[in-house]
Amino acid sequence: METQIASPAAPPRDKPLPFILRFFQVFESLGVLVMLLVLFGVMAAIKPVYLNVNNLNNIVITGSIIAVTGLGMTIAVAMGDLDLSVGSNQALTACIAADLLTRTSMPLTIGATLLIGLMIGVVNGMIISRLKVPAFVATLGMMSVLRGAALLYTDGQSILIMGYDDFAALNTSKVLGLPMPFIIALVTLLVFYVLLRHTPFGRHVCAIGGNENAARATGLRIGLTRVIVFGLVGMAAALSGIMLSAQLLFVDGTLGKGLELQAIAVTVLGGTSLAGGGGNLPGTLLGALLIAAINSALNILKVPPFYQYLALGLLLILALTLDTARRAVIKRVVSGGVR
Amino acid sequence: MTAITDASALHEAQPRGPLYWIQRILTQYTIQCLLLVVVIGLSLTNDNFRQEANILSVLRQASFAGIGAAGMTLLIINGAFDLSVAGLLGLCGVVLAQVLPDINVLPTVLLTVVLGTALGVANGLVVTKIKIPAFIATLGMMYVYLAIGFIITDGQVVPVTNKAFRNIGTGDFLGLPIPFVIMVVTYVVLYGIMQYTTYGRFIRAVGSSENASFVGGIPVDRVKIFAFALVGLCTGLAAVALTGYLSSAQPIMAEGYELRVIAAAVVGGTSLKGGSGTLFGTFTGAMFFTVINNALNLFNVGAYWQYVAVGMIIITALGIEALRHRFGGVFRGT
Repeated sequence: METQIASPAAPPRDKPLPFILRFFQVFESLGVLVMLLVLFGVMAAIKPVYLNVNNLNNIVITGSIIAVTGLGMTIAVAMGDLDLSVGSNQALTACIAADLLTRTSMPLTIGATLLIGLMIGVVNGMIISRLKVPAFVATLGMMSVLRGAALLYTDGQSILIMGYDDFAALNTSKVLGLPMPFIIALVTLLVFYVLLRHTPFGRHVCAIGGNENAARATGLRIGLTRVIVFGLVGMAAALSGIMLSAQLLFVDGTLGKGLELQAIAVTVLGGTSLAGGGGNLPGTLLGALLIAAINSALNILKVPPFYQYLALGLLLILALTLDTARRAVIKRVVSGGVR
Repeated sequence: MTAITDASALHEAQPRGPLYWIQRILTQYTIQCLLLVVVIGLSLTNDNFRQEANILSVLRQASFAGIGAAGMTLLIINGAFDLSVAGLLGLCGVVLAQVLPDINVLPTVLLTVVLGTALGVANGLVVTKIKIPAFIATLGMMYVYLAIGFIITDGQVVPVTNKAFRNIGTGDFLGLPIPFVIMVVTYVVLYGIMQYTTYGRFIRAVGSSENASFVGGIPVDRVKIFAFALVGLCTGLAAVALTGYLSSAQPIMAEGYELRVIAAAVVGGTSLKGGSGTLFGTFTGAMFFTVINNALNLFNVGAYWQYVAVGMIIITALGIEALRHRFGGVFRGT
């Protein structure tokens, strides 16, 4: 992948950041972590059931499924784009995985589903880079198309996955005491992290997100990079679709509604700026776990679902207020350095 | 379309051939031509489509998204967008339905519009004063409005029994559906604001270049709040029409409204980058979607295929839009 993109004009490696900026970079992820720990502390005090192994397992599994989509979204946001089609993509791929499982072997099912996710993403990327349709509208259109495709594929019915223990094991088995979905999320994180931070491709993505015209002027292949990025987003959404069908074992075409906004929310919570130019992948994973933990806490406290909306909305605004404050500090530091 | 301050108008010194004008109309009024072709095609091929009742029903259906899209167009021209409108409309709707039995119709309508405007101002304040990107700020606000709506109604549907009020959604005025009349008036008023008021012109200036506007002494934050307030006002009006039409209100009554409204504006030629767009385009965009939906229903296309069709149409319309831009410069001969 890198060799296709490697261009003679690869930007030089970043100079080490001033201490205060590095501190903030770490703090960004830590901020979510601190919120997570505070939540656990408070819940442990008022509802010890919350720290029950089963409940923690549930939080981690739900969080991991959101995280996998969020990780893909983070790369798109790093490039300055959004993908609104991931929710419908997840629904379609979850249904396809459930259906293929009854026809072929499990490895083939997973492989084919991931490939379909990749193709969906590539189509998104082609529409954006070839037809020059803005990403927001192109993926909005695809969101509708894929939702229709998912409903047509299942004919509006539900698919029950029964008697496929090895597929269900994707959700229930444990590696080193950690739930399998969490391991999948960690591996995805690792792969995307290496791609984004340690390959020319990743630097091109950030360059395009930072300033597309400048990136074009340097000779980067923007169209190709964009197609690959959306391919990755689509594949991540498909992976989360497989994980979701393994978790629910009962899928239909209405799954994943609102996932696109959730994926963007965890990305932003994790400290990735919507302005593009960089992505904080570990932050996204923590953000997803935080959202899952909050939802679980509200459920255990028997808070009516309406207040859960309120909590989610206020949390988003709070997280972004912190982000604004952080950027104000960085701006002061940077302009101070210039003077 | 004259809403556009068209720079190319300055270059028209020499006379042009008819070919030039055809190309010019096709590039500048793409969506309008497309709508015309679709409507003529449907009228010729489908008996039911050209029935007066069907046409009036299309006009009525188009106005619910169309009213909200008018305000959204101004906000997008201003360089932002508002994802909270679905929650905002739902909240306005349930408040309206709750107070309607106690006070008269007219005060209720006024109250709803004022509430919508106030919520719009709240959105604007969050975006400009806390400096949160509009996307996330309004997304967060949507959840907040939705939650408040649910808390007020306790998750129940609030029925509207007042005949006079229901007439706003279902009645006719001078032979035209009342929501459509509201929509036309909204567009005319907003057009007036854009053309003839200082703040209206500031909206476009800020959307073109926020920095330049700021340096030029335009009160950028206030203009943005003004644009958000207009979105709130239009959404409040849409809440009145929709609640009257459905004769009931609930917080999720407008699920997906934000995307439909933004899609109408964008298909109508408003650029999400800000600075360019027309109300006439959005008006056509709102009509376009409704006509397509109506046609899909008339041809008995299944609900699931409609998702596919609508998505394809959004992408195709914008693809044509992009081609228009690519070749637009050639036709304008600049």
